[in-house]
Amino acid sequence: MSLLVLDTISKSYDGVRALNRVSLTVRAGTIKGLIGPNGAGKTTLFHLISGMESPSSGTISFRGVDITGKAPHEIAALGVGRTFQTIQTWGNMTVVENILAGMHTRIRGNFLSCGFWLPWIHKGEKGALQEAKRILEFLGLLGRWKWSASQLSFGQQKMLELGRALAMRPKLLLLDEPAAGLTPAEVKKLSEKVCQLRDQGITILVVEHHLGMVMDVADDIAVLHNGELIADDTPEAVKKNPRVIEAYLTIAGG
Amino acid sequence: MYTGGLWLISLILPDPHLPYRKELIKKRDFLYLGALLLLPLIFPNPHFYYVMVLAGIYAVLSVGLSLFLGYAGQISLGHAAFFGIGAYTTAILTTQYGVTSVGAFGMAAAAATAAAYLIGKPILKLKGYFLALATLGFGEIFLVMVREARGLTGGVSGIFGVPWFSAAGFTFDTSLKQYYLVWGVLIGLVLFAKNLVRSKMGRALLAVAASEDAAASVGINVARVKLGVFVISAAFAGLAGSLFAGVMSTASPDAFGLGLSVLIVMMVIIGGMGTLYGPIFAAIFLTWLMDVLGGYQEYSLPLFGVVFILLLIFFPDGVGTRLNARLIYLISYWGRKRRRERVDR
Amino acid sequence: MTPWVYIPQLLATGITMGAIYALVALGFVTIVRASQILNFAQGEFVMLGGVLTFFFITGAGFSYPVAALVAVISVVIIGFLLHLLVVYPLRKASALIVLMATLGASIVLSNTSALLFGTLPKTLPSFSGEQPLEIGGVLIAPQSLWVLGATFFLLLVLHLLARRTLLGKAMEASSTDPLGADLAGISRNLMVFFAFGVSAGMGSIAGVLVTPLFYTSYSAGTLLGLKGFIAAVLGGWGKNSGAILGGFALGIVESLSVAFIPAGYKDGVAFVILLLILYFRPKGILGSPFIDSRRW
Repeated sequence: MSLLVLDTISKSYDGVRALNRVSLTVRAGTIKGLIGPNGAGKTTLFHLISGMESPSSGTISFRGVDITGKAPHEIAALGVGRTFQTIQTWGNMTVVENILAGMHTRIRGNFLSCGFWLPWIHKGEKGALQEAKRILEFLGLLGRWKWSASQLSFGQQKMLELGRALAMRPKLLLLDEPAAGLTPAEVKKLSEKVCQLRDQGITILVVEHHLGMVMDVADDIAVLHNGELIADDTPEAVKKNPRVIEAYLTIAGG
Repeated sequence: MYTGGLWLISLILPDPHLPYRKELIKKRDFLYLGALLLLPLIFPNPHFYYVMVLAGIYAVLSVGLSLFLGYAGQISLGHAAFFGIGAYTTAILTTQYGVTSVGAFGMAAAAATAAAYLIGKPILKLKGYFLALATLGFGEIFLVMVREARGLTGGVSGIFGVPWFSAAGFTFDTSLKQYYLVWGVLIGLVLFAKNLVRSKMGRALLAVAASEDAAASVGINVARVKLGVFVISAAFAGLAGSLFAGVMSTASPDAFGLGLSVLIVMMVIIGGMGTLYGPIFAAIFLTWLMDVLGGYQEYSLPLFGVVFILLLIFFPDGVGTRLNARLIYLISYWGRKRRRERVDR
Repeated sequence: MTPWVYIPQLLATGITMGAIYALVALGFVTIVRASQILNFAQGEFVMLGGVLTFFFITGAGFSYPVAALVAVISVVIIGFLLHLLVVYPLRKASALIVLMATLGASIVLSNTSALLFGTLPKTLPSFSGEQPLEIGGVLIAPQSLWVLGATFFLLLVLHLLARRTLLGKAMEASSTDPLGADLAGISRNLMVFFAFGVSAGMGSIAGVLVTPLFYTSYSAGTLLGLKGFIAAVLGGWGKNSGAILGGFALGIVESLSVAFIPAGYKDGVAFVILLLILYFRPKGILGSPFIDSRRW
């Protein structure tokens, strides 16, 4: 069943066409890769799905619900998590607090009930802490749980962002170039984790330049070029697709 | 012995926010509480009490603002207006409508809260220096309105004869009594703020400060969080204003201008962004500084400005956080050295 | 007695003040274009222009033109010092810190002025006499014409500076595309340095021009600076044309408002305009290169 459906999405910025009538679907419980040369519109697509921008035309639906034009926090609350291309961990908090903050929507409480520390707040905090530690253990960061997030290495911060997105118990995970800047060993570890997440039932859409990683983990791959979808198939088929090969070999004309 | 002394000093300084905030009351809090209770006995003179009362009121202001500025990272240069709203509400209600101090206290908070809600909704969409200037603009408009609405607010001269703050038959008419009143209120408010900060809302504030996009991506309604913390910080300011009116017996426009707004921001920045106690210590320090320099006003203000700029250049995280971190490092260094010496023997 | 009768006279006053606001606004925009910094001390440059001229005439015995010239040069030096001592050391700090630092500088400048030159308001003689001219039934002080004339002259000079001189072109390049300019060998810090000097110069000249019409004193700078900023936002934040348009617009609206609301509220008008603009159209009338409509 289709978890995420994009229907003829177009997006223009002041006359520049970033995306042109792109339609794709992501099936539940699969990993879909989204690749394409620089400037193809991949991150724009992510911004549209996660709500940071609205499409100029077309619709996006998630689990049957139309999410076109909804605010980012509303879409997140529906079960869509994401990581960012540039690291956006919260360096002013500790590692575990980053995860806990990710669980914001799942913990009860508003300003007043928290300020007066009403009884359910305390219970909520204790339960949350346990789950946060479990997530950190899954990612191999438990030993540094009290560190300031800014003290982590680059690769560890990427893991932390992943953990923060997982803290939401998302149904769909949007990963924006998760392998960028990682060492080969870290990329391998990341691929393992991503596959484990898929096996746990989370659907994943990955934008990635690291073609090796994408070919390894993805169940199927969509290819964008100059804002248009030029292929949407299994990794093997995409590898041999002449249009894809041409897109990657030609220098993007801008 | 030496290490012990350094440890004692480190207790007095505000705590950096790095370690995981789990306890509401730490051991060092008892030390602060004890000092607070004993201070009037160590310095039994009315002038000391008076300055500490003022410091306490500013501390309430700065703790409130620290939630908005220090934790959520948003700039307000108009918080003096909420202070003024609280003071004027109390002054008008007690002098013209015979409302009790406690009732006026509550109404002051309500008035400030309402104003913050109305102003906050449109204004908080702005970022950076636009928000700073919009809040400044609001502060100035408030002053203009107060000066013009002479019938209600007494215009430029203000309202006199505000009765002393009284509760449950007990009237706080001396500086000493006011000292315990103000600092008692502060302790209560600090407990509320501490709870807020160590809960999910505290994390939400910090998240919004560090990265709004990331905060939205985990479902945090950034606009609602900003409005909520703005309103709460305004409520704190309103309560501070109510205390001010009940202690100074007057409310006049001069006290609620841009200068005060800037002063409170200074207290938060110098005390340390992301801490609650830092601004309190900064409030005490700056209030005393102003008192000491009071006679030499012409020299003091420019000097203030220069010192402020220097502090910004050398301590951008606030004096408290840097000093404390350095002390912790020093202490741990000495501890390691002593241990090594002992092993060598 | 309808308020409409006063309109022409108020219009004349409004245009004069508008020119001053335009100059202050340009001062803000010049620095923001070079560095994205909001210089809270901008109003103080204007104040110091008038106050220092007064000091040089009465205290040092210079003649009027010489005093004005020395004052303007002094303020330009102060502008350079502001950059070197406050802005440059904080070049890596967060925007909030820099903002607070310029605010601190504003406090230092205004209070030092009070310290050195006293708190009494000061005035200067008009350039060409006090006798108001009558033009079309409206009384106009000759000084107003000087203000307008000098404003247009300054605008012309700025325009030529930007288009015809190498320094001007470098500053334009640096503000439009900082990275590109940097790669071409134009030092960003140096451009910001000059921007502070240019802003200080413009501000102080505005101060000398306006003091004969309205008194100046140590605290006049703050309010004027705020209004200049509001004018810049009103017209289109970050654009020179926006600063000019906004300046005149604010001056006229503010002046005309006196006909319809009690005079005490006049200063509030500018702030109400600020809130309205920020809420409904933060880009300003002519639009802004800095404000990303998506995120606003």
